[in-house]
Amino acid sequence: MSRKTLDLTLAYLRSLDRTASAHDVAALLRTVLDRYGVEHMLAGTIPDPGTPPGRQYGHALLDGMPTEWIRRYAMRGYLFRDATVRHMAFSQEPFAWTDIAARYKDDPISVRVMHEAGEFGIRAGVTIPLMTLDAKLAGASFSGRHMEVPPEDVGTLQLIATYAFAQLLLLQGTAAKAPIRLTSREREVLQWAADGKTAWEIGEILGISQKGVEHHLGTSRRKLGALNGVQAVATALRMGLIA
Amino acid sequence: MIHVVDAANISQYRHEMEEVWRLRHKVFVEEKGWTDLAKPDGREIDQFDTPEAVHLLVMEGGAVIGYSRLLPTTRPHLLSEVFPHLCEGDLPRGPRIWEWTRQAVAPAHRARGTSRLVTVRLMAGIVEWGMAHGVTSLVTMMPLMYLLPFLDTHFRAIPLGLPTVIDGERTIAVRAEFDTRTLKRLRTMRGDATPVLATPMVSEHAA
Repeated sequence: MSRKTLDLTLAYLRSLDRTASAHDVAALLRTVLDRYGVEHMLAGTIPDPGTPPGRQYGHALLDGMPTEWIRRYAMRGYLFRDATVRHMAFSQEPFAWTDIAARYKDDPISVRVMHEAGEFGIRAGVTIPLMTLDAKLAGASFSGRHMEVPPEDVGTLQLIATYAFAQLLLLQGTAAKAPIRLTSREREVLQWAADGKTAWEIGEILGISQKGVEHHLGTSRRKLGALNGVQAVATALRMGLIA
Repeated sequence: MIHVVDAANISQYRHEMEEVWRLRHKVFVEEKGWTDLAKPDGREIDQFDTPEAVHLLVMEGGAVIGYSRLLPTTRPHLLSEVFPHLCEGDLPRGPRIWEWTRQAVAPAHRARGTSRLVTVRLMAGIVEWGMAHGVTSLVTMMPLMYLLPFLDTHFRAIPLGLPTVIDGERTIAVRAEFDTRTLKRLRTMRGDATPVLATPMVSEHAA
């Protein structure tokens, strides 16, 4: 039994070695963790309290949460009220959300965050606190409608998350060194987006379909490591890729 | 500077090794609570401190501020004798594989950030020593929590078993390969590309 679990873990590590992007890592994790009912995941360092929402995004190394939820979460400043994030200050051990929910029942915003997450199918989850070499607080969370990890598998999950996080750091380091090259189309689309045009308007201006515009926005977003269009524009501006 | 102490030069380090035994007692018995290692004279010496052991001492101002021990896996070592249950299947052994144990940083050098620097320096010392002696990997065990920072130093660590709870901590045994990339990463983290060993062992082309 245990031997089999170790073999599965080693096979996972070999697959992880071949991942080339955060997207690949997420896809692999989904396959490996499917048996626990994992549908959503998030991994990154925890921003210092007070970090404005715009810069909280940059701390995510892997975002596999419903986009609408992440948008609302950032807009309403839920990060520092979220019980699963607050609890990381007290626990270096993995914890199931059901086990800690009761401790935060007196904070109406914490309760609201949990309740609203449920509307997005984020009903149960496990958070794995991690520590980086520079002693920054980091973590990974896995969630879904009916997620459950048997207690005897928590150590293995922690191991899987640790290696995934290390690979994400490695990929981020490689990405930081490689210059980002946008195609002229991607630059054009981002430039018009920076000027406040909608995808439909940009399509009209450039004489391409709205779908085509969204495609170019999507590829440039991935190249820039941005979580949404707004961040892609901000990053491209900062890097001088658009003016 | 890091001094490498082995059977050949231990007689010149009598005073420093006294400090080592006391630092080990302080860290592992008094702080970590490994009471089975407790000694009435406050010097933590065990059955593996034989002439085969290699000791790495981080020295600053004449004091030992950090320490690690390396043991050949061709001889009895912790994973083979004390914690074999952390490994499933065969234990990796051979002249190119050494065991890393007793990693310690003196309490006065543990302020936020400085402890990390001493540890990174020690790891650079281990890699420099290993590369000069044809050693390509380490076996070691650590709390699972320390695995991420360890992997971040670009040691290529593969688990030898699943995490096992020891003294209330999820602990994992790994085999960790290292090479020039590891040394480069450690030197980048230190912000200093010069060798850390008092007697440099790595020829310039290696780094």
